[in-house]
Parts: sequence; C-alpha cells; structure tokens
Amino acid sequence: MTLTIEMLYPEIANLHGDNFNITYLAQCRPDARVVRTRLTDTPAFVTEPVDLVYLGPMTEQGQLTAVKHLAPHRARIEALIESGTHFLFTHNAFEVLGTRIRNDEMNYDVAGVGVFELESTLSMFGRYSGKVMGSLPGHGTDQPIVGYKSQFSMVSDAPSAAATSIAPFFTAERGIGRNRSTALEGVRRNNFIGTSLIGPLLVVNPHFTRSLLAELDPDTEPVLAHETFALAAYESRLEGFRDDRRWHKHESVS
Amino acid sequence: MLRVLLAIWAGKLAALGLRALGRAGTHVPGLVARKIHPGIIGAIAHPKRVIAVTGTNGKTTVSNLLAEALALQGLVVASNRNGSNLAAGVTATLIGAVSWTGKSRADIGVFEMDERSAKLILPGLAPDVLVGMNLTRDSIKRNAHPAYIAWIISSALSAKTTLVLNADDLIVSAIGSEQNPRVFFAVDKLPSDGTRPRGAAVDVAICPICDTTLDWVYWRFNHIGKAICPKCDFRSPEAAYRARDINAATGRLSLDLDGDVSSAKLINSNIVNVYNEIAVAATLDVLAIPRDRILAVFDTIEPPTTRFDTEKIGDVAVVRLLTKGLVGVACSRAFEYLSTFAGRKSAVLTIDEVSERVTDVENTAWTYDADYEYLADESLEQLVVGGVRRHDQALRLAIAGVDPSRIVLVESEVGAADLVALDGVAGVFNLHSVHNADSTGTPVQNRLRERLGERS
Repeated sequence: MTLTIEMLYPEIANLHGDNFNITYLAQCRPDARVVRTRLTDTPAFVTEPVDLVYLGPMTEQGQLTAVKHLAPHRARIEALIESGTHFLFTHNAFEVLGTRIRNDEMNYDVAGVGVFELESTLSMFGRYSGKVMGSLPGHGTDQPIVGYKSQFSMVSDAPSAAATSIAPFFTAERGIGRNRSTALEGVRRNNFIGTSLIGPLLVVNPHFTRSLLAELDPDTEPVLAHETFALAAYESRLEGFRDDRRWHKHESVS
Repeated sequence: MLRVLLAIWAGKLAALGLRALGRAGTHVPGLVARKIHPGIIGAIAHPKRVIAVTGTNGKTTVSNLLAEALALQGLVVASNRNGSNLAAGVTATLIGAVSWTGKSRADIGVFEMDERSAKLILPGLAPDVLVGMNLTRDSIKRNAHPAYIAWIISSALSAKTTLVLNADDLIVSAIGSEQNPRVFFAVDKLPSDGTRPRGAAVDVAICPICDTTLDWVYWRFNHIGKAICPKCDFRSPEAAYRARDINAATGRLSLDLDGDVSSAKLINSNIVNVYNEIAVAATLDVLAIPRDRILAVFDTIEPPTTRFDTEKIGDVAVVRLLTKGLVGVACSRAFEYLSTFAGRKSAVLTIDEVSERVTDVENTAWTYDADYEYLADESLEQLVVGGVRRHDQALRLAIAGVDPSRIVLVESEVGAADLVALDGVAGVFNLHSVHNADSTGTPVQNRLRERLGERS
C-alpha cells in the first residue's frame, strides 16, 4: 500500500528540526505520499483517508493559529482517533488539542481544540530543558525511547479530567513527564501519540520508528533508512542516557 | 546615590585588580557592581547619547564599526567592544565611562547587547537608538525561537527609543510599539536571491494578518528577504536606507541614504557585511553625522575576519571556518559557503558541544535546523567527522543526501585531520565550533598545514 502522511501547517509548525520526523519516515518509505497542508487549505484528513497525521513544534502565536484552524475539525479528529488513524503530534503540538493554553506573561488564556482534557501553562522565563528516557508499554526495556524536552509549557490534567482518562505515551524512567510532578509523558489514545519530546523522535529512536512503520503498513517489511548510522547513533545516545553522571537534579520528578 | 557610588567604586576597584593580574576585567566588575546595586545600569550616569546594537548576527561587528566611526568624528566613545555583551559587560563599560565621582566622561555609548539579555539591560540603559540587525534561530535551549526573542526585546523597550531596523527581516522589523520612532535599512535584490524560501529554518512564511503564504519579491536566506501578501495589503516595510550595486570586483557599492545615493567603499562583499555596512550608515545618519563623513568612514573602518581564515599551501586552500555548534542557522551559512567553493574539496567536521561531552548527552535536534543538504554535493569528496556525537552527525549527513561512502567517522576530533583526503582536492575545510576552537580547531589547522607542507 502507498502510505499517505499529512503534515499539518509546516509553514508555522517547523521548529527544532522536528519536521525531519517526516523527512526520515518518508526516506524509510520512499513510496509514501506526503501531503503538506497549509493553513489556508482544508486538511486532507477531513476529506480522504490518511495513514498518519503529523503536527510539529510551533511558536506561542503558532499554537493559537493552529487552534483556530483545527477547532472546526474537532469532531473529525475525535472520530479518526476512535477509528484508529495514526497521529503524531510532537513538542507543543499536542497542547493545541487540550482544553486550555494559559500564558500570563503574554497575556492570554485561551481554549484549545478540546480533544484531550489537558491544560498547558507557559512560563516564558522558565524554559525547561532536559533529557527523558522511558520504555513503551509492551516493548520491553532494552530499547527505551530517548529524547529531549526544551519548552516553556508544562501540561496538567484539566479539572474536568477523570483520573485515569488520559493515558501517557510512556512513563519516564529518567527525566520528567508532562510536568515536573509526574513521570507520565505525553498522550496515547488508540493510535494518537502526543509527546513533548524533540530529537526528532523518529530519527533518534529507530526501533520505535520501525514499529511505527510496521503499524502503519503491516503488509510491508519495515526498512529503516540509513539503518547502520541510525542504530549506532541510538546506541551511543542510550549509553549516555544510562550513565547516572549525565543526569541532573532538575531532570527528576519532584 | 551613595549606593550608586559604592557600586561604581567596587566595580572600578575590581577592574583595577583584574588588570593588575593581567586580565581584561570587562565582565566581573559589572557583576560586582550589580551585586551591590542591581539597578546600576539605570542609576549610573550615562553618556550623552546611548546606542545599543542587538540581533542574532552582526551585532558585534556593527557596534565595533559604529564605535570606530564615531571616534573618527572626534567623539569620546564608551563601548563594550572588548568585553561581554551581557548585563555585567554593559555595566562594566558604563562604570569605565564615569569618573570616581560618578560623572560621565563619554560623549556617546555604543553597546553591543545580547538579545536574550534585553530584559536585564534595556529598561535601565534606555538607549536613544536601538539597532536591530536580525533575529534568526539560535540555541534551542537558550533562545527558543526568534519570535520569543523579539517579544523579550519589545517587552523591555522604552517607547522613546528610536529603532533602526532591518526591513528584510520581518521579525526584527516588527519589534517595539507603534510609539517607537523607526527607520529601516535593507539590501536591494541581488542576482543570487530567489523567490521561494528553502531550508529548515524559515521563521516567517505566512501573512500575520490573514495566514496566507507570503510571496517573496526576493528571498535571501532563512526569513530574510522582501515579502508581500498576495491576499491583503501586508508587505515588508519600505527601507529608507538601502545598499545596492554591490561590486566585489571594484570594491564599491551604492548607499541610498533616504534618497541621497552615493558610491562608497564596500567594506566586505559577504552579504552579512553588506547588511552591517548599511546598518552603520543608517545609524550614523539617524545620529545626524554629515553624509559626506558617513561615506568617508567606510574608507577607514573594516569588519573583523576572525570567523574565517584561508591560506594556500602548495596547490591546496586550507579554509578554517567557524561553524557554531548548537546554532543550526550559523552552520547553514558555513555549509553554504563550503558548497560555493569552486573545485573538489574535503572537510573535517568537529562541531560537538564541548560542555556536554562528559556531563550531559547533547541534544542534537539543532542539526535538523541546519541545512546539511549543502554538503550533499559530489564536489565534496570526503567528510571526516570527529567527536562524541559523530554517529548523530553521520545520520544527519546521510539524511541530507550525502553519500555514506564519503563519510568517515573517528572518535578523536583532532585525529580527523590525519584522515582527511588531501590528494586531488583544491580545498580542505576545517569546520569547528566556538568552544573547541582552541582545543580542536587550531590543532586540526596545524596538522593540515603539516601534512600539506610535507607534500609540497
């Protein structure tokens, strides 16, 4: 099958090199069709089957713009998540789908698209940077996810959220999760993955990328682009991440 | 007032002590003074006029050129040209510019200002003129993104400050409020310009009014260029100060100073230095320096060339190029330069962040903000990558399209100089970062010289 990958709003959602998640994925599947949806376009996921919907990191203003453009499609997004369409929203992109984004220093407090009962609070002079490592449920501990946070926002449950309603992408063994008080990192609902990790995630985690490729197209043997380099880079990084001396106090859940 | 004097005295004594020890004393005296009086930047007597220069690139060169140009006018200039551009460095310079009784001894202050430090510097410094060169992506960890830095500057800026801004940068050109008097400078369309942005780090692509993708009258790099919205009235500001007719062969260009067009010496043909030249000219005009004298200063002043060095040994050019790690945009400019070098070449690439080699694991996301694609050219025969993060670099290069057979990996950064191919190349590049300039850049350069010397 030909994979259809939709990149939402790359003209504003392109920070921190994260769009190379899709560049790399497309190099793993050279036959994939990558649809780059601009703000003035109707998203492809509204009108046709899409195998993966991607949204990357953006500025604070970019988040507000993305909320404005995605809000009309909330019901469609929820339906696709329920029916098992894959989504990957990285860095602050998944905050757009929460219920609220609050930024006191920039003087706004706005509703998100409202798909997830999560709120994000930005602290413009309290940027958090640190490493995160954790294993995916059902994937063992030999090949954990590794990545980085570099962000103004911390994410917490909305007051209306049921205690167990928001499953994480994974639980951090080292580093913090959605905020400094939890090891629960990101969001996973069916095949929707939201994570604040940059790296880019699919480039620095080739084993995860292989499993994602297999999920996207179970009938095709997944092939990693530049596999030798990708695995060597992962092993080298993992060795560093497993070295206690490289972890710092602020990288712990409080 | 006593606290101000105490801070001044402590700063001056610290500077004297450091100089006695053979150190420059351009930062610590400011730290000491700020400990005693955190608001010393605002409380101390300022020079009669104060200019601040900020932006991601060009602020050091422009502030140095301005200081030199103003000194040529016979003015007593206070400037942090030899020191830090953080709050402590600005403080140390202000203290150096007052007497022991706190009276200003300078006619004019020219301060290079770290853009991320605007919150600590601008409210007290309250410059009469702020020059904004550009705001492009810098350290992900420290600077986040250019719009964030623009917001910091705007939040700290007095409405009375006159702004001299780069019209070709839609982010820096929008800093401040409607109350700020402002003029713009630009470099007119060049033959090398395009009309469609490319590369990883394009921070302005849509109209801020209607979200429509912008059209570009000319696009230069990143979000630098002249844009118009095809749907509404939005467009880049019109610049009163413009550089054009850049002629590297004759070493001349035309400077349009608010409609008054003259030929001037081209201080350097690199586009970055053309922006620097027109920014200096615009600022001097705003300061009411006579225009004939503005043109004359370019016969005297020159930009530093410390980030770039080339020498020829035998028939091979050895090019040492500062390739600032952690800052993708800076790397893109270095890679672009390499790609334009005529003939076959090889390169040593050592741009790991030194401070994170042992005590952390470097976040290499910034390499995906850099256009390594410039290196995917067949004329680049070999890339020897040294350092801890060499596997990440190799992966980035492969994703960029560099043939894996041309990539050589070695753990030792300096050892890369022994492996790089010298046969049949017209140039060999030594691409290193800032923090390993002495520990790696210089030994690599020396080793390349040795090897080429042995051949010739």
